[in-house]
Amino acid sequence: MNNIVENLQQFWQYTGFANCNFQYLIMICIGLTFLYLGIKKEWEPMLLVPIGFGIIIGNIPLFAGLKVSVYEEGSVLNILYQGVKQGFYPPLIFLGIGAMTDFSALISNPKLLLIGAAAQFGIFGAYAISLAFGFDAAQAGAIGIIGGADGPTAIFLSSRLAPDMMGAIAVSAYSYMALVPVIQPPIMRLCTTKKERLIRMKPPRAVSPTEKKLFPIVGFLLTAFIVPSGIPLLGMLFFGNLIKESGVTKRLANTASGPLIDIVTILIGLTVGASTQADQFLQLRSIWIFIIGACSFVIATFAGVLFVKFFNLFLKEGNKINPLIGNAGVSAVPDAARVSNNVGREYDPSNYLMMHAMGPNVAGVIGSAVAAGMLLGFLG
Amino acid sequence: MMKNIKFILAVVGLTLALGASAQSQGQMRLNEYLIINTSDFQDDFGQQNSWFEIFNASYGTVDIGGCYLSDDPNNLKKYAIPGGDVLTAIPPRQHVLFWADNEPNHGTFHVNFDLKNAKEIIFTKGDGKSIIDRIVIKDIYRDSSKANISFGRLEDGIGSITGDGEGWGELAVTSPSTNNAIIDKAAKPERMKSIDPYGWIMAVTAMSVVFVALILLYLIFKQIGKANIKQANKKSANAAARNNHPEAAVTPAGEVSAETYAAIATALHLFIEDSEAHDEESDVVTQRHTDRTYSPWSSKIYMLRQTPQVNKRN
Repeated sequence: MNNIVENLQQFWQYTGFANCNFQYLIMICIGLTFLYLGIKKEWEPMLLVPIGFGIIIGNIPLFAGLKVSVYEEGSVLNILYQGVKQGFYPPLIFLGIGAMTDFSALISNPKLLLIGAAAQFGIFGAYAISLAFGFDAAQAGAIGIIGGADGPTAIFLSSRLAPDMMGAIAVSAYSYMALVPVIQPPIMRLCTTKKERLIRMKPPRAVSPTEKKLFPIVGFLLTAFIVPSGIPLLGMLFFGNLIKESGVTKRLANTASGPLIDIVTILIGLTVGASTQADQFLQLRSIWIFIIGACSFVIATFAGVLFVKFFNLFLKEGNKINPLIGNAGVSAVPDAARVSNNVGREYDPSNYLMMHAMGPNVAGVIGSAVAAGMLLGFLG
Repeated sequence: MMKNIKFILAVVGLTLALGASAQSQGQMRLNEYLIINTSDFQDDFGQQNSWFEIFNASYGTVDIGGCYLSDDPNNLKKYAIPGGDVLTAIPPRQHVLFWADNEPNHGTFHVNFDLKNAKEIIFTKGDGKSIIDRIVIKDIYRDSSKANISFGRLEDGIGSITGDGEGWGELAVTSPSTNNAIIDKAAKPERMKSIDPYGWIMAVTAMSVVFVALILLYLIFKQIGKANIKQANKKSANAAARNNHPEAAVTPAGEVSAETYAAIATALHLFIEDSEAHDEESDVVTQRHTDRTYSPWSSKIYMLRQTPQVNKRN
C-alpha cells in the first residue's frame, strides 16, 4: 500500500500541476488570447493559431530532463526549432512569398517602390529608441526589425543578432502584423485631408510577361550586389517569383506557394510560440520590446503616408498618389494593402486602392529585406 | 538515354564536389612559425621544439588529411599528413599546430623535418604537385637572440604569399593554435554603439542604401516599361498598317482606359446577344448518378507490375 502511495506521490511530482506557477499560467493565458484572436476574430489565423498553440505547448510546466522542451537538445521540438534558430525557415517562407506575389502593380508603376523604402524608417526609428532605452546595438537592431512588419525577416535577423530575444521579437512582430487594421487607420486619417483621401489613381497599365520575368532577375542582381548580407532572403524571394513568372516551372511554383510555405508556416509558428517559455519571455525587456515594436509600426505608417504627401508635391495633377496607400509600405502583405483599400472606400466607395497599394506593399518586402541585410552587415 | 543523363549528372556532381573541396584546401594558410623554442609551448611529450601553424581561412571545414608538408622544394611529398584522422578536419577559421621536431612517430602533427635547418615550409595538396602555400623562413629567427619569438601573419590568413613583407611581422606574443591578432567577438555592435550612440548615423546610412537600391530598381523598370510600351505601340502600328486601319494605332499600349474595356465588353455582349451565338440555358442543374465506382486505389493499372522481360542473347 505504501509503495502505491509513494508511486502516486512520485507521479504527482512529474505532473504539470505540481510544477506549475503563475508565470506559466500567464503565458498559457497569452496563448489562449492568441487562439481567441485567431479563431474567433480571424485576425491573421494562419499565424496566430500556430503561435498561440505553440505558446501553450511551450508553457506546460515540466521538470528538466524529460527531453521534451524546445530548449532541450535532441527533443522533437528542439529539432524543429533548429529551423528558427539556424534561420532556415524564414528564407523558405520568402521562397513561398515570392512564388505567391504578383509584382505587376509595382512593375506598372515603379515609383511606388519609393514608398516601400520610406516605410523602413520604422525600423531605424525603433533602432534609435531601443538604443535610448539602453539596449546594445545588436539587440536594438533585432528589435528595430519589428518595424519592417515582416515576421520571417524579424526571426531571421533576431536569430543572428539577439537569439535570446527572438521569441519576444517574433511574437511582437506577428502580433502587430495582425493588428495592422487597428494600428494604421487612425494614423492614416490623422495625416491626410479629405481631398487627399479622394485622389483617384490612374489604372495600372498591362505588364508584359517579359517584364515580369525580368523583374526577379534584375531585382535580385541589383539588391544583392548592394547588400550581399541580404542574399538568403532576397535570393529566395526573387527566386520564388521567377519560378512563378517563368511559366515553365509551374509545378515548382505550386509547391513553393502551396505545400512548402504551409509546412514551414506551421513549423515556424508552432516553434516560435513554443520558444516563449515563461522564464525566457516574462521579463521586463519583453514589455519594452512590445512597446518599441508598437512605436516602430506607428513610425513606419507615419513615414509611408507623409512620404506620399511629400512625393505628391513633385507629381503632376493626374499622376498624384493617394496618400492612403502610404501605410502599405510596411511589408505586412496583403493586410496593409487591404487597410488602404478599406479606408479609401470609407470616403469614396468606388475608389478601389487595393491594387495600387499592393505596389508599395511588395516593395516593403524588398525594402525590409534590404534593411535587414544592412543591419546584419553592420552589427552581425 | 536516361542512363547517360544519370552518368553525366554523377560526373558533374563529383567534379563539383571535388572542385569545392580543392578550392577549400586552397584557402589553408601557413600562418605562424617559431624556430628556437626554449621556454614556449610544449608538446604532449613535454618537449619544446620548433613549430608552425596552419590556418583555415575558409568558412567551411577543410580536411587536410592526405596533403603534404615539406621543407625541400625537390621533395614536396616529404611528410604526408595521415588521412582518416578526425583531427585533420580543420573547422572554419581555426588553426592547427605542427611540431617540426623530426619525430613523425609522435603523432599526426609531428613532421619529419626540423625548422632549424629548413629554408622554407611548403604545403602541398594530395596530388603532391599543387602547392597550397609556401613561405620562406627568415634566417634571423634561427638566432638565439630570437628564441621564443614567433614570426607570422599579423592577422590570420592575411598577407603576402612569400612569408615576408606585407601582412607579416614579429608577433608580440606567440600564439600557437590561436588567433595572431585577438578579435573581440562583440566588437562590431559595441563599436557601432560607441560611434553612433543615438542611432542616427545608422538610420541615415541604412535608409540611404535602401532608397538607393529601390531608386535604381525604379529607374531600371521605368526604362524597361517605356521600352516595352514603345515596342507594343510599334507592333500595334505595324499590325494596323498591315490591315489598313491606321486609326487602330492611335491609343498607345499600356494606356487603355477602363471605358475602352467597358465599351469592348458591351459590344461583344451585344454582338453575342444579337447574333444568338449564345443559346438559352435551362438553368437546371442535374447530377447524373453513375454506377462505376472508379478509384485509383482499386485500379489494376496501379496494381500490376510490368511483365518481367528476359533479355535473350542471340
